Amino acid sequence: MNFKLVLRITGFTLFIEAAAMLIPMGVALLYGESPIPFLCAILLVLAAAAVPVFFFKPKTDFFAREGFFTVGLIWVLFGAFGALPFWFSGQFGSYVDCFFETISGFTTTGATILTAIEGLPMGLLFWRSFTHWLGGMGVLILTAALLPFLGISSNFLIRAESPGPVKNKLVPRASQSSKILYGIYLALTVLEVLCLRIAGMDWYDSITHAMSTAGTGGFSRMNASIGSYASPAIEIIITVFMLLFSVNFSIYFLMLTGKARQALKSDELRFFLIMVAVSVAAIAWNLRDFYQGVGECVRYAAFQVASIVSTTGFSSANYDLWPEFSKMLLVVLTFIGACAGSTGGGIKCGRILILIRSARREVRSIIHPRAVSIVRLDGAPVSEGAIRTAQCYFIVNLFLVFGMAIVVGLDNFSFGTTLTAVITCISNVGPGLELVGPAGNFSAFSVLSKLVLSFAMILGRLEMYPILVLFSSSAWKRS
Amino acid sequence: MTIIIAGGGKVGSTLAEHLADEGHSVTIVDVSGDTLERLSNQLDVMCLKGNCVSRDVLLEAGAKETNVLIAATGSDEINLLCCHIAHRVGVPYTVARVRGTEYVNDLDTLKADLGITMLINPELTAATEISRLLRFPNAANIDSFARGRVELVSFTVQEGDFLAGKTLAALSSKIQGLPLLLCAVERGEDVFIPNGASLLAVGDRVSVAGTPSGVNQFFKLLGRQAHRIKNAFIIGGGRVAFYLLILLERLGMGCKLVERDPERCRELAEHFPHALLIHGDGTDPELLTEERMAASDAFVALTDRDEDNLIISLYAHQAGVPKVVAKSSRQNYTAIARSAGVESVVSPKLATAGLILRFIRGLQNSKGTVMNALYRIAGGKAEAMEFLVSPATRNLKVPLKDLKLREGILIAVIVRGNKVIIPEGSTCLERGDDVIVIARDSGILDLNDIYEGVGL
Repeated sequence: MNFKLVLRITGFTLFIEAAAMLIPMGVALLYGESPIPFLCAILLVLAAAAVPVFFFKPKTDFFAREGFFTVGLIWVLFGAFGALPFWFSGQFGSYVDCFFETISGFTTTGATILTAIEGLPMGLLFWRSFTHWLGGMGVLILTAALLPFLGISSNFLIRAESPGPVKNKLVPRASQSSKILYGIYLALTVLEVLCLRIAGMDWYDSITHAMSTAGTGGFSRMNASIGSYASPAIEIIITVFMLLFSVNFSIYFLMLTGKARQALKSDELRFFLIMVAVSVAAIAWNLRDFYQGVGECVRYAAFQVASIVSTTGFSSANYDLWPEFSKMLLVVLTFIGACAGSTGGGIKCGRILILIRSARREVRSIIHPRAVSIVRLDGAPVSEGAIRTAQCYFIVNLFLVFGMAIVVGLDNFSFGTTLTAVITCISNVGPGLELVGPAGNFSAFSVLSKLVLSFAMILGRLEMYPILVLFSSSAWKRS
Repeated sequence: MTIIIAGGGKVGSTLAEHLADEGHSVTIVDVSGDTLERLSNQLDVMCLKGNCVSRDVLLEAGAKETNVLIAATGSDEINLLCCHIAHRVGVPYTVARVRGTEYVNDLDTLKADLGITMLINPELTAATEISRLLRFPNAANIDSFARGRVELVSFTVQEGDFLAGKTLAALSSKIQGLPLLLCAVERGEDVFIPNGASLLAVGDRVSVAGTPSGVNQFFKLLGRQAHRIKNAFIIGGGRVAFYLLILLERLGMGCKLVERDPERCRELAEHFPHALLIHGDGTDPELLTEERMAASDAFVALTDRDEDNLIISLYAHQAGVPKVVAKSSRQNYTAIARSAGVESVVSPKLATAGLILRFIRGLQNSKGTVMNALYRIAGGKAEAMEFLVSPATRNLKVPLKDLKLREGILIAVIVRGNKVIIPEGSTCLERGDDVIVIARDSGILDLNDIYEGVGL
């Protein structure tokens, strides 16, 4: 393991975090709030990052394990340093709470420990949403786009940060790909800001909510989330954009380059859209005694399904009060999540599709034991290796969910609270059911549970392996 | 004509044999001295040892004075390159054998870019033939003329058919009015063109020419209205199978394919999502039973061993599969297969040789009448040809009954405009007609060759 290089890259990335903190500091100044928490945090980050950047002269050996290791380390450190402004402000409770909140931001989860959000300083709330926006696309993709001079193939880094079952490279050069992805990301975000502004939000709310949607995060500056606006227009805009951000971004690239037909042929996209449509219809039907008229049922069902499936976690109603069928469906959608190559989390539709098809193949092989059959995605064969990876991913996900649920169970909350808290964190959704439901928050958990759940969020965001590499003894060996 | 054949393999030597028999001067270029030694002993051709992609070798083979170069070595790329170089040297017509499945979509551009006159793909030709057989399961063999308006179909007379034991004259009441003609009968080793007095016997293989609907009605009359084939069971996953799967997929037929090599199975499975690929030995009866071979509508044996193909085809025939097709490169096995009940035997080699011969003959008589199609029928012992009647054709407007045709020649069908005419004594040939002629011997190059007393 080439630790010096790993630390040096981490240092560079922290510089970007320091630079990113300048923006909320500006917002704080704009609203006449104290910039001190941000200033202190920036200075601390710079001091920590400067050591490896200026004093380490590493060799340039950089391979997959270094890539995975770097990504894992960077995400942990991003949370640790990003929590500083919250902590210095003194309004967010203990450092662990701040860490949880920041990790929840960067991993685009949107789970919060705050009991009352309204009234907190604007600068801090802006930073909270801004972490969503930064984390959504991946901090390393950003680094690769801005700093192609790291002197190593940034390929390993990007691959480790957004592994997904689908190829993510749009153009031959990785840094070029990153720029294109960020361009699409930025353009969609700006579009949403404008739409929300037109629909009646003020600029500050438009920008923070657009950033939360773009990263599929879910932090809102309102206690009752989007529901507090009680505006169908805003709900529709956010519903549409949540779905837009949960689609593989390469589809937009294909559309922009005039290959719309190829883009719409994607199996994963179709599966995703059908799943959303069926879920909305089923939940709307299930809510028929809950709301007045079909329109209202569909409006609430569509918003909540989009919010959960995109792993954003906004809410327009307290769905914890909904019938059990709707809640079960939402929990399952929490598990499945968005499309690969989007900013959403969860197991990803592409993987689910591969799992369904490989299961179908297993059944078929009982009837035709000697048949050679191939699992396909978008008409192209999926290699046996990729199928194994998807299966393994699913199993590891289950093991981790149950393992962590046991630890969180020490807090002695109900079964629903405990299990959905873990699932919602590992899928980067945000709200679960009961105590951690849309009206609740995570403040009641113990320090241990908060750390475990933070860990779950990073695991989910990085799709397990980069974090699991940190726990592998062979990764720490020098040879 | 002067012809160079590059590559003395199966197709090369078959072609050389046929072309030499038809009186062309043939030079074979091959890298193997042994092959050339054997060929020069068997055939009346010139042999030259060397690499056919070398310009010097081609020049030495007489490329400057050659009319046609046929590249039929084992490698597609060598064939393409050889034709291209021959084209640059100045050979007016070049024919390349290209069998690779990778090139199948680019054949037209390759032809144009490399200056090649004709590309032939024996496996694709064979697959096309098989798919046609599966589409019309009644027939043992089908050839089509005049852009599909006329079909030449062969079948075997079975015990209990109303044809058996009757003369054609006696049958005329029954099949008169149907737009078709019985035009060749193969009995054992013999082939004859039937006339009114000819007697049909069980086991005869009869070729019928007519419109597709006429042929269908005829089979209905025979009581062989076979149901449509919905699924096929294929053994062997070679190139023929590859092309066949493409064609059958297009027809919407379900396919089950058994292949011995697991790698190849995977490859095919990747290409054909709708086919069921089974890894196993296709000659193993247990596997065939497990995969319900007997329940399929058609069985196609395409392994690379002729013997295996014939034996498993017989097995399938016995198991009651309605339509069985076997691939066999060896001519002499065909008769054995037929006598045992496997009627449809397809040979890529023969199909290719037929294609090239037609091409060469077309070149030869491009001044006279145009030959649009040539098929070797009745096991290669007779030919069916399609000619366009031109002003140079003699005896226009003379009733057929007054014409003196050579022995073993039959004018089977005339296509005039959109009308298909089964000729009678009073019919005459007219300018612009498409005429389908059956000849017992080969060597007819021009429509004028069918008349008696005219020197070739």
